[in-house]
Amino acid sequence: MSTEVELGERHGAAPAAPVEPRWRSAARPRAGTPRGRAAGRARSRLIAGGVLLVVLAVASVLVPWLGGLDQRLVDYDAVRLPPSPEHPFGTDSQGRDLLLRSFTGLQVSLLVAAACAVVSTVLGTLFGAASGVLGGWPDRLLMRVVDTVNAVPHLLLGIVIVALYRGSVLAVIASIALTHWTSVARIVRAEVLSLRERPFVDAAISGGASRWRVLRRHLLPAVVPQAALSTVLLLPHAVWHETALSFLGLGLPPHLASIGNILGEGRAAVLLGSWWIVTFPALLLVATALAVAGIAAWWRDRALPRRRSELGL
Amino acid sequence: MSGALDVTGLSVRFRLGARGRAGTVRAVTDAGFSLRPGRLLALVGESGCGKSVLAAAITGLLPANAEVAGRVDLDGLDLLDAPEAVLRDDVRGRRIGLVPQSAATHLTPVRRVGSQLVEAVRALRPADPDPRATVHRLADDVGLPREMLDRYPHELSGGTAQRVGLAAALAGDPPVLLADEPTAGLDRPLVDRSVDLLAGMAQRGHAVLLITHDLRAARRVATDVAVMYAGRLVEVGPADEVFAEPWHPYSAGLFGALPDRGFAPVPGHPPDLTALPAGCGFELRRPDLHTCVPDPALVWSGERAVACAPVGAS
Repeated sequence: MSTEVELGERHGAAPAAPVEPRWRSAARPRAGTPRGRAAGRARSRLIAGGVLLVVLAVASVLVPWLGGLDQRLVDYDAVRLPPSPEHPFGTDSQGRDLLLRSFTGLQVSLLVAAACAVVSTVLGTLFGAASGVLGGWPDRLLMRVVDTVNAVPHLLLGIVIVALYRGSVLAVIASIALTHWTSVARIVRAEVLSLRERPFVDAAISGGASRWRVLRRHLLPAVVPQAALSTVLLLPHAVWHETALSFLGLGLPPHLASIGNILGEGRAAVLLGSWWIVTFPALLLVATALAVAGIAAWWRDRALPRRRSELGL
Repeated sequence: MSGALDVTGLSVRFRLGARGRAGTVRAVTDAGFSLRPGRLLALVGESGCGKSVLAAAITGLLPANAEVAGRVDLDGLDLLDAPEAVLRDDVRGRRIGLVPQSAATHLTPVRRVGSQLVEAVRALRPADPDPRATVHRLADDVGLPREMLDRYPHELSGGTAQRVGLAAALAGDPPVLLADEPTAGLDRPLVDRSVDLLAGMAQRGHAVLLITHDLRAARRVATDVAVMYAGRLVEVGPADEVFAEPWHPYSAGLFGALPDRGFAPVPGHPPDLTALPAGCGFELRRPDLHTCVPDPALVWSGERAVACAPVGAS
């Protein structure tokens, strides 16, 4: 600004007030180029998803505690009551309050999902990175392990693991995590293989970097966003998987609430007209999945510096 | 559809951070020039002065955080505000052809050159009864030996790839050709042959914009020249006159870097595009040579124009 004044004074004339040109966004819906407004959308998705997830997580801890939930309590005077001020979600076939049980179930589901996502991401990243960097016969060996795990139906393998260690949360986590790391491994390996051919890796190698340094400083930082994205995407998937196992009667013991248990037991009650037994727990599950998807969408835009600057994040 | 492209008051800025909080890069400020059929305009200037951004603005290929102002008029169609569908279906490839910088990387690596050119011709000239014959004619036009059509992109040398790039740009027979640094990485004889091809296209009636920092190549083929400094055009005019007697001190300095004029580069560096002064900006670099005026718009005198200086002064 000071330069402007100086120049004007030197020429003995006030600088003509510059006409501010009519600026408009150059963003176009070309493939690969997000619209200008996408930034705002991604951010509001993050905020909505984050707030929703925090509220659900806090509620899943607080609601059963405040409500004084006793998982073994049954009340046959209050069987299948529709939603009312006393039981906002209604009651199930054993007369248990569904609000308390749904949030307790959500707590279990979130715990299982988070543990599964972290375990399978770490396992998958290790496998994939090792495979991509080592190449040759170690790569072939590791990938055949992945193929073998993939060849067995996930649910079947999960059922075997759960059957061995019946009724514990750890068994459910293991049965999901041990069947879902393979997709992460494949993504990470493919990413490493493609990045390995890029000039910046050539530059590091010709600059004298060791294989380990190339992996640690150049490849992993570029891969981590992808791996983290698959973690986030695994979260809702793991919730569904836990639900499916419990629904089949292979998850937690029936008296312990989980979304899957509630849905499995509520299935018969729907035929008696008690729609609320499946509706509210299922809505909680959908809300959780949507919240996580919103965070994932933001992360996808955020992860790459180039895309971040295009979106103005 | 004669291929007359008029750029008036074109400005491009990049907003950094959310809503420009981390600053604004003024990549192009108030640029104006015209392309005419049969003419070859060379846009010259140092690296980073905004030449390529200008080309991207004309074709609507700026990144999403860019903002534009001004007008780009192609035979009556305003390109800046035209809907994407118009640019996609009617302008790019059909009315404006882009000759890429590194042609080999602009080709799909897994398909032969010939089949990619045939596909481009099929897509851009749906009425053509024999696309293969058209590709052969294009190859002849750009001096591409026909046996090269059976090769994969990685099997091409730099000069051959450049010819393929030009042939691809001509696939839709566009009246306007934009060549963004088409000679980067080529040696002198190949540069000369590549720009001669562009000059040949101008002689056949195309309007050609050659963006380059290769002054020798520009002087060899350009009919008109526009000199860009720090996002502004500081001088526009017929090539022979501007090269013989530059009016703006920056043009004079830039041409002084030519081998036959003493190889003397302009000392100092261009200004930071996030904090541009009011004038053309050259004052900051050579206060001894130049004093900016408050309104650095181009002042026309006949066919020539110069920014930031009294008419006729050098």
